[in-house]
Amino acid sequence: MKMKKTDIGVVVFMYIVCGYFYYHMTKLKASSQTYPRFTIILLFGLTTLYLIQMIVAAKKHGVESGVDEVFKDFQAAQFFVCLIAAILYLVCIYFFGFYISTVLFMAVVLLYLKVPPLYSAITVVVIVALIYFAFQRFLGVKLPVGTVMKALGK
Amino acid sequence: MLETLSLMGAGFLNALTPINLLMMAAGVAMGIIIGCMPGLSAAMGVALMLPMTFTMKPETGLIVLGAIYCGAIFGGSISAILIHTPGTPASAATAIEGYQMTLRGQAGKALFTACYASFWGGLLSCVSLYFFSPLLAKLTLKFMSAEYFWLSIFGLTIIAGVSSKSIVKGLMSGALGLLISTIGLDPITGVKRFMPSSYFAEGINTTCALIGLFSMSQVFILAEKKIKARAQATKFSDKMSLSREERKILRPTIVRSWIIGNLIGILPGAGASIACFLGYNTSRQFSKHKEMFGKGSIEGVAGSEAANNAVTGGSLIPTLTLGIPGESVTAVLMGGLVIQGLTPGPELFGKYAPMTYTFFAGFVLVQFFMLGIGLIGCRGFAQISRLSDAILIPCVTVLCFVGSYAIHKNIMDIVVMLSFGVLGYLMRKLDLNTAAVVLALILGPIGEKGLRNALRTSRGSISVLFSSVVCWVLIALCIFGILSPIFMNKLEKKAEADAAENAGGMDELEKLTEEDSV
Repeated sequence: MKMKKTDIGVVVFMYIVCGYFYYHMTKLKASSQTYPRFTIILLFGLTTLYLIQMIVAAKKHGVESGVDEVFKDFQAAQFFVCLIAAILYLVCIYFFGFYISTVLFMAVVLLYLKVPPLYSAITVVVIVALIYFAFQRFLGVKLPVGTVMKALGK
Repeated sequence: MLETLSLMGAGFLNALTPINLLMMAAGVAMGIIIGCMPGLSAAMGVALMLPMTFTMKPETGLIVLGAIYCGAIFGGSISAILIHTPGTPASAATAIEGYQMTLRGQAGKALFTACYASFWGGLLSCVSLYFFSPLLAKLTLKFMSAEYFWLSIFGLTIIAGVSSKSIVKGLMSGALGLLISTIGLDPITGVKRFMPSSYFAEGINTTCALIGLFSMSQVFILAEKKIKARAQATKFSDKMSLSREERKILRPTIVRSWIIGNLIGILPGAGASIACFLGYNTSRQFSKHKEMFGKGSIEGVAGSEAANNAVTGGSLIPTLTLGIPGESVTAVLMGGLVIQGLTPGPELFGKYAPMTYTFFAGFVLVQFFMLGIGLIGCRGFAQISRLSDAILIPCVTVLCFVGSYAIHKNIMDIVVMLSFGVLGYLMRKLDLNTAAVVLALILGPIGEKGLRNALRTSRGSISVLFSSVVCWVLIALCIFGILSPIFMNKLEKKAEADAAENAGGMDELEKLTEEDSV
């Protein structure tokens, strides 16, 4: 099997994680270092082993990008809209509370993904009702009200 | 013996309370819905519903999770039979014969066969759950600190090795999870470790990590693909039943598949997707109507479905007794157990025996609910399975958010869940193993306590880790865990190749199994 360039990213990421944890581990008391040291050595060792495997594969079979395989049929715009919408949804929950944010988030994403408005409306109502009855009424979870809504309420 | 029988009886009485029965029905229905939707997996469903079980009694919570698990494994067969797309990889073999039967106008019969075989496969798997679990749990009484350390390593080698394309990458994922599990206060000295804020004092919230790695990452996987309309579910008018003769023909097939599925389930690392192909192939080998295979054989459907459902009970045995989940779903289920404050092992069959036996009884009853709900709701579930990814993406996102918030009512939990969602997505794209990370987060603290207590009693000498026969057995099992993927891959490839003969070539089979799963 050929070496994939994308795996270089995996190796670099693992080494960075090892480095980060090692740096912070050295600041700990000796007795608290035992287990983190063991796991860092384990991850470092396995990553190095994988790096060796990659080098051997590159020498034997050559190198391929791997990007095409990883991101085959990747819909960049759709993916990033959904990701950013999820992040904004989180921010909105903090400010405007759960229900308003959920309705906004679902409406935006459903319409962006070209779900017909009627189906979108039904989906939003069903999900909000499900959460209200399952979480708020049945499980007694108090869902976030949001700082803005709290301030307006006062 | 008498004590066990009385515990079993009491377990059934507890399981038969109205709330437990209601939860079983709801769990099975939810599981079937999740299972029949291509793109959603059993592990994802169990992870998503995990927060809902926190406020329930432990036994009720576990029954719900078990019901979702069983329902999802069966649910995969509905879309496999009616739209030729297995809802979960565990039903890939069912699609071969099931869809052929649908083309011949026997969709009702195919669905009944799947339901009937799933019921018996699941029910018979409970026999081994009752019989083997207490015996295996007794073994762990001999375990000391060093043994617990090796046990946690064994669990990781198994899941990291088998569920990954590359063994080293799987092990790397496990090691990464172990490292992440060290975040928080030192369990022995109370020193702060790798904590960016006091929120992480208790470590990474395992449930949030679970939801992120299994459910939120799946949302991103769905979001990156072009949204396609699902195939129309075939409408059927034939009767959903089997004649007495047909049931007689299926009996030996179901028993064989039960044994196969159960063994595969007990064997840590092997899952329902391997079992369904082995069950299917064995049914063909022993069939008196081999000519029907590839053209729509009820034995093929039953062989596959009985085997994949027999895995459910079997896979709970190592999970509940040794704390070694064999696959992603049981890893999530074990997370549910640990979150309820329960530790797998002898305690479950001693101090918590009433709870455990109630769960077992619930697991038996779940099979009956699966049969009833499966048969009554087939047509409806088939329509639900056509739900577009465009609707699933925001719905699952909202459920992930509310689920992770519900645990501690802290918005930071959503941040952690979302971060693990992105991490899980990248890991899956780069062939790293999310199940190994989850398991490491659960097993990490157990392993750490084991290692540090062992070193403390030996005054820092590593020799304590190699001081007993059990330690050496576990070390040998760790080596087996690392090498087992070679054997498992061969087994799976052989089973798939054999099945491909009947499916009309490898291309057809690849098309069926290409649906990504956690």
